[in-house]
Amino acid sequence: MARYGQPIVSWISCSNYNQNRYCSSPNALLRKFHKQGDDPYEKKLLLSACLALVIAAPAFAANPQPDEKLADNQNLNYWLLDAIKTKDPQLNSAVEGSDVARQLFEGLYNQNYAGELVPGVATDYEVSEDQTVYTFHLRPEAKWSNGEPVTAEDFVFAWQRLADPATGSTYAWYEELMNVKNASAIVAGEVDPSELGVKAVDDHTFEVTLGSPIPYFIKMTTHTSTFPVNRAVVEEFGDQWTLPENMVGNGAYKLVEDKLGQDLTLERNENYWDNDNTVIETIHFQAINDKNAALTRYLAGELDRIELPSGQFPRLKEEYPDQTHAVPRSCTYAYLFNVSEKGPEALKDVRVRKALSYALNRDIIVDNITRGGQKPAYSWTYYATADFQPPVTDYSQWSQEERNEKAVELLKEAGYDKSNPLELTLSYNTSDDHKKIAIAAQQFWKAIGVNVTLNNTEWKVYLDNLKNYNFDIGRYAWCGDYDEASTYLDYFRSGGMNYGGFDDPDYDAVMKASLTAEDPSADYDKAEQILAEEMPLAPIYFYSTPVMVPADVKGLPVDNVLQNWYAKDIYRVAD
Amino acid sequence: MPPQVLANINAKYGLDQALWKQLLDYVWGIVSRFDFGPSFVYPDQTVNSIIAQGFPVTLTYGLLSAIVAVLIGVTLGVVAAVRHNSWIDSLAVGISVGAQVLPNFVMAPILVLVFTLWLRWLPGGGWEGLGHPAYMVMPVIALSTSYMASIARITRSSMLEVLNSNHIRTAKAKGLPMRRVVMRHALKPSLLPVISYLGPAFVGMITGSVVIDMYFSTGGIGKFFVESALNRDYAVMMGITILLGALTIAFNLFVDILYAWIDPKIRY
Repeated sequence: MARYGQPIVSWISCSNYNQNRYCSSPNALLRKFHKQGDDPYEKKLLLSACLALVIAAPAFAANPQPDEKLADNQNLNYWLLDAIKTKDPQLNSAVEGSDVARQLFEGLYNQNYAGELVPGVATDYEVSEDQTVYTFHLRPEAKWSNGEPVTAEDFVFAWQRLADPATGSTYAWYEELMNVKNASAIVAGEVDPSELGVKAVDDHTFEVTLGSPIPYFIKMTTHTSTFPVNRAVVEEFGDQWTLPENMVGNGAYKLVEDKLGQDLTLERNENYWDNDNTVIETIHFQAINDKNAALTRYLAGELDRIELPSGQFPRLKEEYPDQTHAVPRSCTYAYLFNVSEKGPEALKDVRVRKALSYALNRDIIVDNITRGGQKPAYSWTYYATADFQPPVTDYSQWSQEERNEKAVELLKEAGYDKSNPLELTLSYNTSDDHKKIAIAAQQFWKAIGVNVTLNNTEWKVYLDNLKNYNFDIGRYAWCGDYDEASTYLDYFRSGGMNYGGFDDPDYDAVMKASLTAEDPSADYDKAEQILAEEMPLAPIYFYSTPVMVPADVKGLPVDNVLQNWYAKDIYRVAD
Repeated sequence: MPPQVLANINAKYGLDQALWKQLLDYVWGIVSRFDFGPSFVYPDQTVNSIIAQGFPVTLTYGLLSAIVAVLIGVTLGVVAAVRHNSWIDSLAVGISVGAQVLPNFVMAPILVLVFTLWLRWLPGGGWEGLGHPAYMVMPVIALSTSYMASIARITRSSMLEVLNSNHIRTAKAKGLPMRRVVMRHALKPSLLPVISYLGPAFVGMITGSVVIDMYFSTGGIGKFFVESALNRDYAVMMGITILLGALTIAFNLFVDILYAWIDPKIRY
């Protein structure tokens, strides 16, 4: 299996997930963007966030191996949990909507399996000396599904449309993030959209001027909100231009039928420039709101990719080992210890925190409770994170018996034993899964002589309690906003989110050093070691998403956390 | 969201107007043009276009379910009543009780398990229109079963009552064959309670199609009904509610008229 790749960009999709957790909203990012420069950390966050946006994608064009024979049936049935709200690239704001838009339209650049850029409509580009003017050369053979050529003017129109407040795009901020000249002023309604820093030099030369240089700008052009749209069609049909009878796209597929809320049918676009290398004939996007129903339909052979209902993974993995996969998902589940002023006295003692962390039997939690391919966590940073391997912490190498012994010993040193038991409260927000894990933790801690009371509240109340340091031990999960260790490690800076109130000058110093380091992984390593030593949290498990994909479908990202997929790269092989 | 963008979105949906104006526009749109306005969630759809896509589907399997429920339910009820206290009666009652206690959200997965996963006879979901009956079988069975059971029970008890009445005794005394007595003299009066049940039941089949739409992905109106509530798509919510309200009134009226036709004694 390939190296676990880049975790998913979660901050767009986070509302889809039922695990309650913090997600940075686009607005939060944008605020940071405006403030950028005041605080080096802010800048870093932004930079990496944008990198994450563009990382991930399968190979470029379907690429069957010589020993593979293509199947006669080249239809793909892709499952959607919810019907997509719009196919309009500039209006869409959902991950599933992007999955559809990526087949119907094509932007300047695409991505290959490793997340590297590969040419889309643009064949290459040049950058000016001062890094602010990008000139893209568009391939002359690129055509709309109605046969007209795709021109630089189409990009100009789409990019202006994205920023134009009259479009009412909830993704207008993306263009501000790209730092296209005048984008912010246009979004704020101060400047006419025609002032946007984009220009059609000629039919096949598209020029973008940035407000100031952004090194990762080029990677941002794979995002669906920057995809071109056909001006004539949009202007003629207004809101209704995305209906199948009106829509014109430039992607490898065209929309032929839209049964609202049920089934979206795409067929290959004969006018697509790389149509010769496309294999899949028809794509059905089928909306089924129930994961169990989707599983049934999958087993009946009516769907080609599903996410599994919770608890079903082990059984299905055993029955269908070649179809069932646990796809890594960059999130870490943990218990935070309240080490702030307002926290309990006992938790200020590192020995107590260590004892509590050691006593948690993570193997039991992932094997018997979560059961979806999750991995036990002994570090805060997700195990599959680009350019950084979380260090092997000492206690991860011990057996559970050794950990328990050590825990009892530490508690005794701290002055707690059976005659003088430690009393604490474990808080979590409403969810069956959190509850099960909390009950297990209660038992693990009871074994080392710690009495823990469970406290369950609704998410909003719970979050308020966390923010106000109104808890002893609190359940928490963090998902990477971008694929870089700092998305995790920044959390425990004294100025970070840091709900437990952890404040360690060494930690802050290490994180600060990482900003200017050529290779920050040594600093990240130190930071993880400090976390293991000070234990402001007990990491519990690393997330994964259990999926099923038929063995004959090739090119869909399975071994990787990739979320961006292109149907033109997919093919089915004969048995 | 940038304020300017928000303002434009508000303006597009008329949300920047005074509340009384919004209400007036909305009501006037319905009264004058039968226009329930745009969907707040799907930019390329209006409430009317959503209903136009979902309602025919719901109506198709709703009508089919009603027909199946009435045909089988009445037959079971009549047979059970005529062969009162025989094994046929017990069997019919058994079937109807069994069908009654199986709600459609239990029926649906069982049907899929049997017909799709084991026998591989029928597709597990989807809707391809009138020309593809295979997609209709399971939704219709799942939707009609419990209604069928109710109809069977109502028919049976009312038929038993009618069979003990004076005019049936007279008919039997005349020496009419049992078959003739039932078909000619007993059936019509014993169907009265069934008909009064059918009016609301049919509306129920359409509103109750939520489970069917969710489970079989039939794309009917029930799905949009639930989804609009979850998505806060108020315009769609209102449109479907008004549609269902209108249907309820229409069917009750229809049932009342049917009553008068079946039993001329009834006058309003």
